[in-house]
Amino acid sequence: MQRRHLLLSLPALTLAGAASAHGPTRQKVTEKISINASADAVWARIRNFDALKDWHPAVAESPADKGNNEGSVRQLKLKGGGALTETLEAYDDTKKRYSYRAKDGGALPVTNYTSTISVAAEGSGSVVEWRGAFYRGYPNNDPPPDQNDEAAVKAVTGVYQAGLANLKKMAEAR
Amino acid sequence: MRRLLSCLPMAFACATAAAAPFAYITNQGSHDVSVIDLATQRVVATVPVGRSPAGVVASSAAGKVYVSNPDSKSISVIDMRTQAVVNTLPAGEGPVGIDASADGRWLLVADWYGQRLLAWDLHTPGRTPLVVPVGKAPAGVAAHDRLGVAFVAERDDDSVAVIDLATARVRSRVRVGTHPFALLHDAARQRIYALNVQSDDVSVVSVADLDNPRVVATLKVGKAPYGAALAAGGRLLYVTNQHDDTVSVIDADSWKPQRTLRGFGYPEGVAAFADQVYVVNWMDDNVSVLDAASGRALATIATGKNSRGFGAFIGAPLDVSPSPVR
Repeated sequence: MQRRHLLLSLPALTLAGAASAHGPTRQKVTEKISINASADAVWARIRNFDALKDWHPAVAESPADKGNNEGSVRQLKLKGGGALTETLEAYDDTKKRYSYRAKDGGALPVTNYTSTISVAAEGSGSVVEWRGAFYRGYPNNDPPPDQNDEAAVKAVTGVYQAGLANLKKMAEAR
Repeated sequence: MRRLLSCLPMAFACATAAAAPFAYITNQGSHDVSVIDLATQRVVATVPVGRSPAGVVASSAAGKVYVSNPDSKSISVIDMRTQAVVNTLPAGEGPVGIDASADGRWLLVADWYGQRLLAWDLHTPGRTPLVVPVGKAPAGVAAHDRLGVAFVAERDDDSVAVIDLATARVRSRVRVGTHPFALLHDAARQRIYALNVQSDDVSVVSVADLDNPRVVATLKVGKAPYGAALAAGGRLLYVTNQHDDTVSVIDADSWKPQRTLRGFGYPEGVAAFADQVYVVNWMDDNVSVLDAASGRALATIATGKNSRGFGAFIGAPLDVSPSPVR
């Protein structure tokens, strides 16, 4: 199962066995992008938990059952096939930030995945930070190459970079 | 904790010029340990260890620091006087939680994949460890202060096992919250605190009767509590909440929440020394220094990558020679 680049080509990945266990080494990814648009303007584009489809190029649908309330569950359908279920864990409109957790077994080779996206002012523009923490997809020792630590980091990095690049393009377009 | 409070002032008194206590922070992303001199609050050494070091215990009595390397299935042994690795022990399928008895005799390691506790008798070097089968995904471990007893968090069984080292058997077991990961032994109050990462609370377990451990309180904290330490002379319980980027401060006697501190980055390990608390920020690759009584942030110390500090990471050798460290 050769994974090439982020969600666009991610096949639906069924993770083996009881999803409660995970590998021993938590991984993290932090991606930032500076945008030549105000923090308010950028936040307006991403502030709704169900708006992911409007700005992430790999996401076809992203309905959320309780809007921006904590506990709201959004069901992502990806353009390349595959799905992700994510629950809103924290939402702060004044700090322009929200955090969510993905259910194990979605279209990313990760488990115990949590993520936070935030917007802050930077000079006359803004900076968006997207950071995630997760374990690899394979919970035991000696993972196959497509479910090891490197594969997990690569997949999440791809998701963040593609999303942020597109957000910048949209926000800076005139 | 108890042993730090009781032993370290002694270490100070006998060896002030040679060695202050050190904090040993495991860096899971850079495969090394940052050694912080608490007197100057600077990193004085970075010690390469095995792959993905997570657990750590600084045993003042042994003068050694033991680090669990889950990805190389080993324990690195660091000499506190030289800040260098002096030994490496093979350790099961995936060593995670680690602790040592206060007398420096027992080294206890949870083998996450092997579903067992490994216990080395350090008074007989070279001997293979005792092996005690335990429940699923053993994570945190804690040594009893005196009785040859160990406690193990059986994360995926939602329980804590009480283990007799003399017989290498589980003596009793208690059900706690959901997915207990870290454990802290409170010797003065004869309790174990089990930090339940999925139910977002702390089970306070009375272990006054080792055959009948029982939950006497459940303390609500933030999301994914991960590390705990007693501070301010044992009066305050500090708990890191990984997914809230906060630290809960709880009165250890009344169980009343005192405050919630903010501004951390996936805080994990926490330990206290004197009137300060040290919180390890996994996301930010640093350690926050707090005033124990007020919770006020005093300083930030940069560490290696993906810092964990899972365990009692502060110590100083008790038998320091007059020769300077390093």
